[in-house]
Amino acid sequence: MGSCPGVTASCGEHSGRVLEQLTHPFLLFLGLAFGGVGLCLALPRKRVNPQVIGAVLGGLGIGIVLLGLGLRNPEQLPNYNFYIFGIIAAGSALRVITHPRPVYAALYFILTILASCGLYLILSAEFMAFALVIVYAGAILITYLFVIMLATQAPSEDQLESLAEYDVESRSPVVAAVTGFVLLAALTTMFFKGSTTLEAPLAIHPDALLAQMPNKVTPEKVMRSLEREGTVEEGESFVALDPEAGTVTVLGLEGERVVAIPDDLGVKNVEAVGFDLLNEHPGSIEIAGVVLLMAMLGATVLSRKQVEFEEEAKLRQSRALSAEGGVFSDKEVRP
Amino acid sequence: MTFGLANLANAAGSTLAQAGFPEPMSTPALAHYLFLSAVLFVIGMVGFVTRRNLIIMFLCTELMFQAAGLALIAFSRFHLHHTGQTFVIFVLTIAAAEAALALALVVLLFRKKDSLSGEEWREMQG
Repeated sequence: MGSCPGVTASCGEHSGRVLEQLTHPFLLFLGLAFGGVGLCLALPRKRVNPQVIGAVLGGLGIGIVLLGLGLRNPEQLPNYNFYIFGIIAAGSALRVITHPRPVYAALYFILTILASCGLYLILSAEFMAFALVIVYAGAILITYLFVIMLATQAPSEDQLESLAEYDVESRSPVVAAVTGFVLLAALTTMFFKGSTTLEAPLAIHPDALLAQMPNKVTPEKVMRSLEREGTVEEGESFVALDPEAGTVTVLGLEGERVVAIPDDLGVKNVEAVGFDLLNEHPGSIEIAGVVLLMAMLGATVLSRKQVEFEEEAKLRQSRALSAEGGVFSDKEVRP
Repeated sequence: MTFGLANLANAAGSTLAQAGFPEPMSTPALAHYLFLSAVLFVIGMVGFVTRRNLIIMFLCTELMFQAAGLALIAFSRFHLHHTGQTFVIFVLTIAAAEAALALALVVLLFRKKDSLSGEEWREMQG
């Protein structure tokens, strides 16, 4: 064979591009088709209900897509914790919509929340992770559980294990699964192709935000932290702070020298989020407060009032009143 | 096959975080998070359409809120900007308000018909 090295290289590049163009949509749509069929099988129905097969197929589908995504850029995989938390989140989300009993669905939803908290932690959003546990798993889901217990018919003695008819049969699972996974396929192709055009931002120093927080880094505080860390000696004095570079310049006996910003003065996630919230969105947080107040008022009014929807009930009441001469009398109390 | 294993070992040796915070996250890693977010959203949407229990339908809207929050946090990490996390605070606010109102409505509707089925209320259309 007389093929020159240059040709081979271009051939390899060309075939690689063709391979990518062939495998990528094929893998993607195959995986999503598996996912759709699996979801459709896993939804509750009356007669034969192959939920386990559906779950396995759905997991296989998502696995194929993630595998394809990983093989395209093997050197830029996400943190391996992503796969653990992602599988837990997707699996328990599937169980939320397939479990026939509402209480278990709510408990699986808590599992989804906890897995997303893990993902938030990987993405360095510590404050939001803990806020999510407190607000969702602690407050909203408890409200859901209370309402599930309030609004469930008491089962009769002979059939304690029975389920309500509307929990057993789902409504048009095939159409819903097909529509959902066509949407997912469109979204996924879009950001598989589109994410390559996104420009990755430049690295910034984590303490760059300190430039906007002059009260947090007064010279006295910086020097006290540096002394506690042991990086400066007695007699040295503060000269300048450079948050962009993350350094402090101090004047010592042998002239000026540059040391790193002490750890306990660095910007934490909570500080950064709080600063962004109150500095950039001061109006929105007021509106959020009003929205919460209105929702509280609305919920109180709605759940207190006994609204009569049926005209018959009103008619019956008025007839009863007129038959008794317009005076309401209770025979039990006044015989 | 050294790339995958080496990367995995590297990730296992490092901390929990997706690279150190100030380091930028790569776009393929972002695509993983966006895909998971889309999966959660679609599962929530399919659940909202197919389930007939009012409580589970509202649970599915919470699932969709969750998916939106994950996408916001992933973009916040990608752009090294905290506004994405701030917006998740607002998403949480709206989710809490929606849950309070929706559950009050569910209790009200249950008192009327003694059933949680959404199809009991089909005369409300149009």
